[in-house]
Amino acid sequence: MTKTIYSLWKTSEENFKDLAAVRWLAGKEICEYSYQQFGEKVSGVRRGLFAQGFAESKIALLGTSSPEWVCAYMGIITGKNTAVPLDAALPPADLIQLIIRSEAEGVFLDPKFAALAAPVREKCPGVKKIWMLSGDEVEGTETLESLEESGKDTEEAPVPEEEDLSMIVFTSGTTGKSKGVMLTQKNLYTNVEAILYKVDPGIVFLSVLPVHHAFCLVMDWLQGFMMGAVVCINDSLLHMVRNMSVFKPDVMLMVPLMIETIYKRIKAAGADTPPEVIAEKVFGGKLKTVFTGGAHLEEFYIDEFEKYGVQVLEGYGMSECSPVISSNRVHDFKKGSIGKPLPGVEISFDNGEILVKSSSVMRGYYHMEEETAETLKDGWLHTGDKGYMDEDGFLFINGRVKNLIILSNGENISPEEIEGKLALNPIISEIVVTGENNALTARIFPEEALTKDMPAEALKSALQKVLDDYNREQPTYRQLSRLVIRENPFIKNSARKILRTEVLRDEPVG
Amino acid sequence: MEKRFKEIIAGYCTLSADEITNDMTFRDDLGLSSFDLMTLLGDLEDEFDVEFDLGADEHKLSGIQTVGDAIDFLEDYVN
Repeated sequence: MTKTIYSLWKTSEENFKDLAAVRWLAGKEICEYSYQQFGEKVSGVRRGLFAQGFAESKIALLGTSSPEWVCAYMGIITGKNTAVPLDAALPPADLIQLIIRSEAEGVFLDPKFAALAAPVREKCPGVKKIWMLSGDEVEGTETLESLEESGKDTEEAPVPEEEDLSMIVFTSGTTGKSKGVMLTQKNLYTNVEAILYKVDPGIVFLSVLPVHHAFCLVMDWLQGFMMGAVVCINDSLLHMVRNMSVFKPDVMLMVPLMIETIYKRIKAAGADTPPEVIAEKVFGGKLKTVFTGGAHLEEFYIDEFEKYGVQVLEGYGMSECSPVISSNRVHDFKKGSIGKPLPGVEISFDNGEILVKSSSVMRGYYHMEEETAETLKDGWLHTGDKGYMDEDGFLFINGRVKNLIILSNGENISPEEIEGKLALNPIISEIVVTGENNALTARIFPEEALTKDMPAEALKSALQKVLDDYNREQPTYRQLSRLVIRENPFIKNSARKILRTEVLRDEPVG
Repeated sequence: MEKRFKEIIAGYCTLSADEITNDMTFRDDLGLSSFDLMTLLGDLEDEFDVEFDLGADEHKLSGIQTVGDAIDFLEDYVN
């Protein structure tokens, strides 16, 4: 069997046809598609794209998790096209740039972001079609139904080959420009295959991570489909805890930030509440396994969840590796480690930096040859993380090579990217962005020539306004929530580069 | 409403409802993360039978810094 997402899906569609594949809430009602029903929808999108002339085309997806989003995604990657899932929370100008840079020829648009249809049409000349994922047609767009209708009389679209490009995922760039990670059909398939664990079909997943992330797409959706799971959609991050009671999942993928919040809910229930009541009220009653990754998790939470019969298994990955590199497993785990490398993954170290070689390692960064050459050397992917392997083969992380701020929601923030934008403001002479307590701080040395006669309060307001203007355009996790005004320039090395390890030195008190 | 609201917030921090004052900030004074705040909003929906729209209300929601800001926002919403 070829290692493509088409063959993965077709096998599951056949094997599990009467089982539920996707569940979601419409108001208070739980709706579902079986594997067979969902397969017909996926095939409709695949054939529709082919009928409308999209073959080996990049197709962007813009929206939050919904059955239509996932259907469009599967329709793209089970054919010969390439999906470009985008973070809908980014500022419109950034989204337009990513659509242009990815050379997308079509865009699937969530009606929540319908206002983007006009600027995409105007500023992205390469985009030939925009399809609304649901709701009514917006001027200059078509609906998902009309796309499916257009492929109704088309024979099956050409199927992908292992080396075809299945997806481009944009990730934070340490050089200030986000990078498009190119993943092939085989990259994705072999990652899904390697992380499989034995469960009965019909197992319930609740998908709560942002759907444009590789971790969510591969571990929740593709893995779920391969195992015959029913994947339930969390309609909003506001409702995660409520939806755990609604869908009663067996398995969930979470970032550490979510685990920390759930722990607070457990504490709020009171020390006298019996564990079985908490397991029911907080975890939905059936949850057995939580896979986590993307940021460091304190072992304390693993021990606490265990009291309620929930096993938390930490793993490690990055989009460049499709994305999972290592994971603890139900019967083979070590707390504090990020698990053993997946089957087929080779690990090596270069001055402490973790290097990875496997069939899931990306082809490279889209149109970024220099960055690709810096990251992929002699077939080894340089992760930028420092770590070691213990005598039992478990991997541990103990630092980072590059300046990337990892928040506990799993989002990676490139400080240089934000600094570059804010430094354009004339009243800022030097700026360093740091991450503390899961929030970003801007440390600024103002431009003396422009600010030396300003009273302290006026200077503070002027700089705060710069941050406010920036924040207004950004998703919450990229907002700068603290401002520190320095009285002296940052400490620099002989090449006049700011020493990031010394940014807290010589800082004003209070 | 204010009293019940503070009881809900108390579930996310180490202070009791009586100790929570309107000028306290969620992040620095109460130690709530961005995801705690999201989940708290979900609790408020259930408690006060309202529905927030992360898209349409995002601007107002992102401006909430203190307990007082949240109470004002909630009162506007309920009324």
